Formats: sequence, C-alpha cells, structure tokens
Amino acid sequence: MRFIKSHLSLIFPMVAILMGLEFFIAFDRTTKGYEESLKDSYAMLVVAKDEMSIDDFKSWDKHIYKVAEIEKSKIIDKVDLPFKSSDTSNIDKDMPNFYSIKLNKYLNNKELEEVKRNILKSDKVTRVETFDTLHNSNYGLFSSIKLAFQTFILFMTIIGFFLIIKQMEVWNFMHSERMKVMDIFGASLFLRSKALIVMAIIDAILSAIIASIVFYTIQNSWIKGNHIAILEDNIGGLFSIDDLITLSFASIIIVLIAVFLVVINVKEE
Amino acid sequence: MSNIIVAQNLTLSYERDEEIIRNASFVIEKGDFVFITGPSGSGKSTLLKSFYGNIKPQSGTLLMGGLNMSNIKKPKLQELRKHLGIIFQDYKLINEWNVERNVVLPLWIAGYSNEVQQTQAKRLLHHVKLTGKGHKYPLELSGGEQQRVGVARALSKNPFLILADEPTGNLDEYSSNVIWDLLENACQQLETTVVVVTHKIPSVFNIPYRHFTIDELGDIYEVH
Repeated sequence: MRFIKSHLSLIFPMVAILMGLEFFIAFDRTTKGYEESLKDSYAMLVVAKDEMSIDDFKSWDKHIYKVAEIEKSKIIDKVDLPFKSSDTSNIDKDMPNFYSIKLNKYLNNKELEEVKRNILKSDKVTRVETFDTLHNSNYGLFSSIKLAFQTFILFMTIIGFFLIIKQMEVWNFMHSERMKVMDIFGASLFLRSKALIVMAIIDAILSAIIASIVFYTIQNSWIKGNHIAILEDNIGGLFSIDDLITLSFASIIIVLIAVFLVVINVKEE
Repeated sequence: MSNIIVAQNLTLSYERDEEIIRNASFVIEKGDFVFITGPSGSGKSTLLKSFYGNIKPQSGTLLMGGLNMSNIKKPKLQELRKHLGIIFQDYKLINEWNVERNVVLPLWIAGYSNEVQQTQAKRLLHHVKLTGKGHKYPLELSGGEQQRVGVARALSKNPFLILADEPTGNLDEYSSNVIWDLLENACQQLETTVVVVTHKIPSVFNIPYRHFTIDELGDIYEVH
C-alpha cells in the first residue's frame, strides 16, 4: 500500500501537469485551425477612386495578402434602380472601384484598426469597411474561451508543481538517510540517487501514458459526441502519437530536475 | 611501517565556531590500534570525522593515506572512503535494506559482481556470528546484532583503516566484548589500522594499543 501510495503521489501531479501541457498543445493546434477558417471567411471592403493593384495594397500594410476587385456590374445588378434597365453605363463610369481584401492572419481589433488606418493613408481610398461588429463578436468569443482555458491550464499546472514540491519533501524524508550512509562509504552522486532516478523515470513514463490515454479518450468520445464547433473540424489533430513522446520527454525532464534538487540538498551530518 | 594518518598542527572547527581541536600533531602507523578518549564535547568525534573528510582542517595538515584532507576534491574523497571501514554508535544501517545488502554496501559501491557480494556476505555474517540472519531487516535485530552488521560492513572490503565512533556506546557487556574481539582480530590478523573513539577503554584488551586523550581545550596527548 505504501509502495503504491509513494508512486501515486508523484504520478497524480505529473498527470495534472502533463494534461495541462497536452491541453495547451492540442488547444493551440486546434484553435490555429479555427483561426484559419475565421480568417478565410473574413474580408474587408475598400472603396477607391482609382483602379488599384495588389502591390499598391501590399505596400500599405503587411497583413494584406489577397485582393479581389468586385465587378461593378454585379453591384449594379444587386441594386434595384428604376433606370437600371435603360442605361447603366453612365453609372458604371461614375462608380468608384470596390475591392475585397483578405488578410494573412486572424487579427485582433487593434490590429484591424491599424490596417484600416494604413489603407486610409492613401488619397485614392475613400472608404474602408472592416465589418468589425461581426469580427469582434467572433473574436471576442474565441478570445474569451481561449483565455479561460489557458487560465485553467495555468492553475492546474501550478497545483501540479506544488504537489511535486510536496513529493520532493517526501523523497527527502524517505531517501536522505540512505544517501548519507552511501556518501560516507564513497558512493558517487549517481549511485546515491540511482534508486530515486529509476523510480522517478518509471513514474514519469507512466504519467505520460496515463495523460495520453485520458486525452485520447476525451478526443474520441467526449468531443466527438458533443459537437464542439471550435474543435470538431480539427478533431483529428487534437491528439497525435508524437504527443506521447513530447509528454514523456517533458515528464522525464521535470522529474529529473526534482530528483536532482532533492539529491543536492542532502548534506552530510 | 608506513604512515596511515599524519597530523601536523591540525586545528579543527565548525564554521564561525570556536576551535575544537587545537594544534594536534601525531602519526598513526599501519597496524596500530588507537583509542581516542576524552570528556563529552571534547572533539573526539569531530577528529574522527576529519579522518573521513566530513570536516576539513581549519589550519595545519592532515594526511590520510598520503592524501591532503585540506584540499581534497570530491572524487578523490570518494575513492578514499571506499577504502575505509566506518562504524557508528547509532549503526547507520539502511533500514529498508536487508542485513546481507547492508553488509556488502561497500562492495556494491565498488562495483563488485553479485556472486562476489553474496560470497562475502555469507563469510562476513558467519564471522560476526549472524549466520542465517542475512534476510532480516536491521530493525528486526537487537542493538548488539545491528552493531555486528555495522562491523561486518566495515570489514567487507578489507579496508586499510577502520574508524569507529563509540562502537559499543549503546551495547551491553556481552555485545561490547563481541565487537572488541572483532576489531582486535581485524587489527591482529589483517594488519588493519583501527582508530576507536570511546568514553572508556575496555578493561580486558588482548593486543597492544595506543591511547590518545583530548582535554576540554581541544589539546591532544598520547598517554599510552
């Protein structure tokens, strides 16, 4: 029982930290996909007196990556004018040019305003429509979910680290006498800490496997079943087998640092 | 006769504390059996600790097997300790290891094979009259038996020097006599140098010995 307890007291906080890390990795990966889809469906409208080229736009702001001219005839077609049928050529001639602009990434409100200001610096541009209400509501929802999630992950990680510090005190209590005796008889640092290192590495790998299984289960049952829009499109990318390696590596590094701190703090009497 | 321990004007003190041993000069040679006595707090154990590098000299010189303990580096110190046998009043056994494993700790540290360790463990346990108790744990043994395990551990790698800090301090007369016999044998038969810190020299002691005493001021005299 004591044996199981001593392992669980490291595995539990490690799983909490690794879950936090995996949530962070997976959420970052999936939200990037969601940001991409938001970006693709978003466009700004620019009204200009003269005809413009893509290079003109790109020279004004680095976030502009695609420009499409909206055909005037299509606009006229959509407008219900009484004289439309008779002659639209004069209207066509007097109309300004309309451009739909795509950006290279999903920008926040401040960055969006910056793009607008940069475009308006040109004399040729008369108006810029950012459709910021739609953009803001999407972005606001998205940002708040992301922030809430990251805060949760942060707290989970902090609690995990506190539990590991507690476990280090337990290790110190359990192993310091043995290490002191071994030191008196000339054992090297590695030999003194070997038992602790082996135990910690086994627990670290077990923690990584448990965290991966939990995540894999979340991906395949909970998210698929609940149809969460942000995650559903990228469900395949939520967890990959490479993550098990990343988690094992992170886990081993954390426990080795913890073991090292315990071992160097064991002083001879 | 080769010199095992050489002290010249040796002064020992703990950090920012008063001097515990003052200007001690002595030589301990191979095969010597040395008792160090003195009142409580006189620095007997501190002197012994300096022999295995637990405390460094504040001034003067201390040579252990030719190594200068004032500036010895950790790897050299570890190497020196592998060739020492150390016995403590509180035994300092590893309670989560069985007796056999405790006995062969110095052999395990030195990297000897399992076969060698097992053979030595059997031989040593027989020598200290603990045959058949190899699989017990230290806390299952009496104080006298635990100290015999400590002696067996100290002897396991045929050290050139045995350091014993009050080895019979917690033991009854019978157990104390067993420990003295074992140390006498080690000195007489293997020519191992033995340095024992004790309150009282045993009334019956069968081999020649040297006797150092430390007074309250930390001065050392050889009295026998």
